[in-house]
Amino acid sequence: MTFKPVPSAPAIPEPSLEHAGVFLSSAEALVNWSRRNSLWPFPFGTACCGIEFMGVVSSMYDISRFGAELVRFSPRQADVIIIAGTVTYKQAPVLRRIYDQMCDPKWVIAAGACATSGGFYDCYCTMPGIDEVIPVDIYIAGCPPRPEAFLEGIIQLQKKIDGEKFRDSRAMGAERRATTTVAA
Amino acid sequence: MSAAAPATPTSPYRLAIQPGKSIEELKTALIERFAATVDPADRWDLTLLVSRDRLHEAAAFLRDDLALRFDVLLDVIGIDYLSFPDHRAERFAVTYLFKSTVFRHRLKLKVRLDEDDATIASLTDLYPIAEWHERETWDQFGIVFAGHPNLKRLLNHHEFQGHPLRKDYPCQKRQKLSLNDPMLDQLEARLKAKGYQVVSAANGSAQTGAGA
Repeated sequence: MTFKPVPSAPAIPEPSLEHAGVFLSSAEALVNWSRRNSLWPFPFGTACCGIEFMGVVSSMYDISRFGAELVRFSPRQADVIIIAGTVTYKQAPVLRRIYDQMCDPKWVIAAGACATSGGFYDCYCTMPGIDEVIPVDIYIAGCPPRPEAFLEGIIQLQKKIDGEKFRDSRAMGAERRATTTVAA
Repeated sequence: MSAAAPATPTSPYRLAIQPGKSIEELKTALIERFAATVDPADRWDLTLLVSRDRLHEAAAFLRDDLALRFDVLLDVIGIDYLSFPDHRAERFAVTYLFKSTVFRHRLKLKVRLDEDDATIASLTDLYPIAEWHERETWDQFGIVFAGHPNLKRLLNHHEFQGHPLRKDYPCQKRQKLSLNDPMLDQLEARLKAKGYQVVSAANGSAQTGAGA
């Protein structure tokens, strides 16, 4: 004689917040989520990297997949400034002033060899890297970088924004450190 | 139709393609009039060396002579021979490139300049384009063009010291620019003249130098 196991009673769902359509998160996570998915870039294109950036924006590579397609040509409307090209000392105060005109929170991407290090211009007029005048968040290698490298830079910047804390943010007055480098 | 006597050219185009003086005639004319010599270093084209005092006169002759009509000054080139091998002449030279759009010929005039007195007459009264060419040459080589209306730096920024294309300028010596908008006062004056009210002070955020 065999005994069938008594079937357990069906579980009654516990009334949860999620079930009721309520989610708990930190305000930081929410704000960072919205910031990283709507980056408005300001293209500071001075050389061939600027041409490459046009390819990143247009349909083949399509930067809008990462929410950064709304290119603004006023620094007051931009979140991230992309320095794509050679910057000379004559231009450095202009760049600094444009950066100062951007509203917080703001990020900086140095795209290409010239913006990161001066490239092969080892001379009297070219600035060896724009981090002499403004703090840089992401360095993208390449001369010029491939569009994939640009996109990788955007992704790395999104990761960086995701990890930001309010107490570290530039809006609170603290200067952050530049950390990430994208390999070509 | 008799082909012996060609019709006199009447259209401006036909006039334009008439040959002017041949290069040999041109050479002898310049050598006779302005004591020019042929530069042996120029192996592909014709370069005539003239003295500093005769340059302006020679350029005026090249422009105004109806058989020459050098109506375009293509370029002004500074040369520093400091580290040039086996160079015995003066340290600097300025080369002027002329072209005639009428007769389609070209000519270079070269003037040697001493290091202690690198001054030469400006050609801005003959060729207005010389203004920027001479500004650039002064900026990069420190060659002074006497009579130039506005001898300021063209390529380098206004706080730059020295002349970077001189061979004794250390080419990696970088010079930072501290002040933004060196022309802001001129801009404000222009705006005021047009009736705008200029609000911002001249140095509002202008002092945003490198490393600020």
